[in-house]
Order: sequence, then C-alpha cells, then structure tokens
Amino acid sequence: MKGLLLKDWYVMKKYCRSYVVIAVVFIAVSLVSDENMFFIFYPCLLCSMIPITLLGYDERSRWVQYSGSLPYTKAQFVCAKYLIGLIAQIVMLTVIGIAQGIKMSAGGNFLPDDFIVLMSLVLIMSTFASSITLPFIFKWGVEKGRIAYYVMIGLVCAAGFLAAKYFNRNLQIAMQANMVLTALVIAGIGAYIISWYLSVVFYKKREIQ
Amino acid sequence: MNALEIKNLTKSYPGFTLDNLNLTLPSGCIMGLIGENGAGKSTTIKLILDMINKDSGTINILGKDNTDNIQLTKEDVGVVMDEVGLPECLTVKQVGKVMKNTFRNWDDAEYERLLRKLSLPDNKPFKEFSRGMKMKLGIAIAMSHNSKLLILDEATSGLDPVVRDEVVEMFGDFTRDENHSILISSHIVSDLEKLCDYVAFLHKGKLLLCEEKDQLLAEYGLIHCTAEELRKLPPDTVKYKKENPYGVEAMVRRSLLSTGINVSPISIEELFVFMVKEER
Repeated sequence: MKGLLLKDWYVMKKYCRSYVVIAVVFIAVSLVSDENMFFIFYPCLLCSMIPITLLGYDERSRWVQYSGSLPYTKAQFVCAKYLIGLIAQIVMLTVIGIAQGIKMSAGGNFLPDDFIVLMSLVLIMSTFASSITLPFIFKWGVEKGRIAYYVMIGLVCAAGFLAAKYFNRNLQIAMQANMVLTALVIAGIGAYIISWYLSVVFYKKREIQ
Repeated sequence: MNALEIKNLTKSYPGFTLDNLNLTLPSGCIMGLIGENGAGKSTTIKLILDMINKDSGTINILGKDNTDNIQLTKEDVGVVMDEVGLPECLTVKQVGKVMKNTFRNWDDAEYERLLRKLSLPDNKPFKEFSRGMKMKLGIAIAMSHNSKLLILDEATSGLDPVVRDEVVEMFGDFTRDENHSILISSHIVSDLEKLCDYVAFLHKGKLLLCEEKDQLLAEYGLIHCTAEELRKLPPDTVKYKKENPYGVEAMVRRSLLSTGINVSPISIEELFVFMVKEER
C-alpha cells in the first residue's frame, strides 16, 4: 500500500497546496476573532475533503481503472484514502490545538475544560463530515458522491455553528454536558471506523469499468 | 503449465453478453485477441484481472484461480490498458518510485533501460505526454517487474510504425523465456500476425475460434473463380464467399479441397473479416 500512499502524496503536493493556504488564513483569522467558530472548524472540513479531492483526480486520470491492474486489493485502495484523510485531520487538529492553546494562554484564559470542549467539537465535525460522505463516493463515484458531500457540509456546518453558540454561551452547562460530549466524540470516531468498513464493502462490490 | 486458462466464462450486461468463453494460453506463447469494437476484448481482460465480477466460469492465471489472492498473482502480471491511467502531475521518475513501492520485484535498472530505449523524458509531467508516449510508459512499467504474463489491451495503438515495430520486437524478445507469455488485443491485426502463436477471434461476445496461427494459415486459403466453378466444390469446403460481377472470392479449407485448384494464402485480417461476415 506504500505505493498508493506515495502516489496520493505526490498528487496532494501538486493539487492541495491551496488548502494549506486557506487553512493558514482561517487559523490566523480564528486567532484574532473571538466570535466566529467557523474559522476554526473550516480547516478541518477541508482536511476531510482531501480524500474526496484525491478520488476525483483518480477518476479523471483513470487511475481507478489502472490501479485495478496493479497488485492492490480494493480494500487497500479504500484504506489508502482513509489513512490520508486520517493523517491530514490529525495534523490539522494538532495545528488548531496548538494555535488555540497559544491564543487562550496569551489571553490568560486557558482553561483545560474549555480547550477539550473546543477540540472535541472540531474532532466530531471533521470525522462526521468524511465518515458520512466517503461510503457514498466509493459506492457511486465522485460525481454523485460529491452531492452527498455538499449536503453533509451544510448540515455539519449548521450543527457546528449551533453547538458552538450553545457551548460558548453556556460553558457551565457544557461542563455538565461532558458526558454528552464524550459520547459524541466516541460516536465520531466510531462513525469513521464504520464508514471505513462500509466503503470497503461498497468498493469491493463496485465494478471498475 | 498454462499461463492462462479461461473456462465457460460468462458476463452479461444489458445489450451485451460475453458468452461461455473458453481460452487457453500455454506458457511461452503469445495469443492475439482479435475483435471489432464492442466484441468483448476489454471485458475479457477486466474479468481476467478481477476488475469486474463474472457471472459464471473460472479463470486461472499462472495456475492460480484469479479470485484467490489476486493481488499476489498480479505481482507476476504486467498490464497495459487501452488508456494508461497515471496521475497527470506525475513525472516518469515519480512513477518509478510509486511502482517501486508497488511491485515486490520492481527492477529499477530495467525501468531505466526501457525509458532510455523508448526515449521517454525523465522530468516531464505525464499530462504533457502524447498518447504514444503514454502507451510507451505503460509498456515500460509492465515490463519492469519481472512479470511472467503480459496482458496488453490495444497497447500498440497510438504508436508510430517505427516504435510499434520496436515494441513488437520487445514483446517477441520477452517470450524467448519459456515461462513468459502474452495475451494481446489489438485492432492492428498486422501486429498480431507478426507476433502471435495463437489467435482468438471474438465477435459480439462469442468466441469464433481459438487456434494456432500457423495451423490456421495452413488450413485456410483464398480462391478466385467463377460462380459455376465454386458450385462444383464440396459444400463444406467453402467457409465464406464474396460475389462480384467478375467472379467469386471464397475462403476455403485447404484440407477438403481436391488438388489442382490454385489457393492463395490468406492473412489473419482477411480470415477474421470473412469469419465475422459468415457469422452475420
């Protein structure tokens, strides 16, 4: 599978540079803006979009067909995309975590609980967005799957916006809702694992024309 | 051992059925798969590579069932599809690195040698390659991992005649090793005629024949005569006839003809065209 990951790395380096620029700008804005959580969440949503972008380029270049002639299983093809997505999301989560940690510390209001709530929300949004979209794409291809992705982005953004507003205004309640948050984090990670499994099942059944 | 054994292979799509295909490619041989567009050549190749699911039948590659650990079998199979689907941004060097991490038996030195032989540039992105260059890179990849079986789907299309001749020669050299075999489909029947030991004719998803090329050329021939002369021949002798105002051109079986009739040699292309017309 190393070959698949290396190929994806080359394609990412070429076509996903703009994502890095957008992420840097958004993180920078999130450091100076206290109101809008969107600037924190969006870079992670971008990362969840990387596997979809890669699949789009794979279909366009007919790599999907060509890789069928190489010594890879369909499961490995799926796993490469999930691993790339996972690595990108972990890197972005770490960067956001460091940035927000510095921001909170510099402002003298670093509270571990606040920080954990924030990071958990980012993690939940990011994992749910890709978890729900990728199986559609592996089943029907990028064109049809992309529609599902945009619907999901809308729903996740709305949910994130509402949740962020709720937690910002009701931090005490948020602390009490720790159990809910933990459950959501577990659900997010679980959704990613189930999504991975479903994508493998769907892609194994899909015929590569 | 046979490099490839296909038994009773069937695959149906709406409007097309690959019907009960049986093929055997012995090791050390080259088989040409000849058929018009939509005859089922690419479908056959995709089924061999387990890229699409068969309805029934069995496929053995190098003695192993193709549904059993296919990724291990593919280590020994070099494939060139009708379109080489490499990412457009990759250079030849990057492709080499990807393939080195893909095939266990990847041979860097052989890849470099083939790149030089086929005059492929090192640092040009794939998207700037012509169709011929793309096919050449596909061929270089397929031949750089010590494969035992090459499966080539229209691999010579898009190449200029000089390079095509070189590539056909490379394929010929490849099968000097008796463990090496090639299944090649092409519209350019002259290439197959030069190269193949066996030919298989596919028409509308059905196998019209699968025979040794030399045996076919020895068995079939062309006669030019009048309609009256043709009627005097035993009925089974004539496989297909084409009448025109000046007489009749007929494909005949030499073994059933009495001596004294002048029979011209037939090319594989003529044989295929006659057989397809007979089928219609």
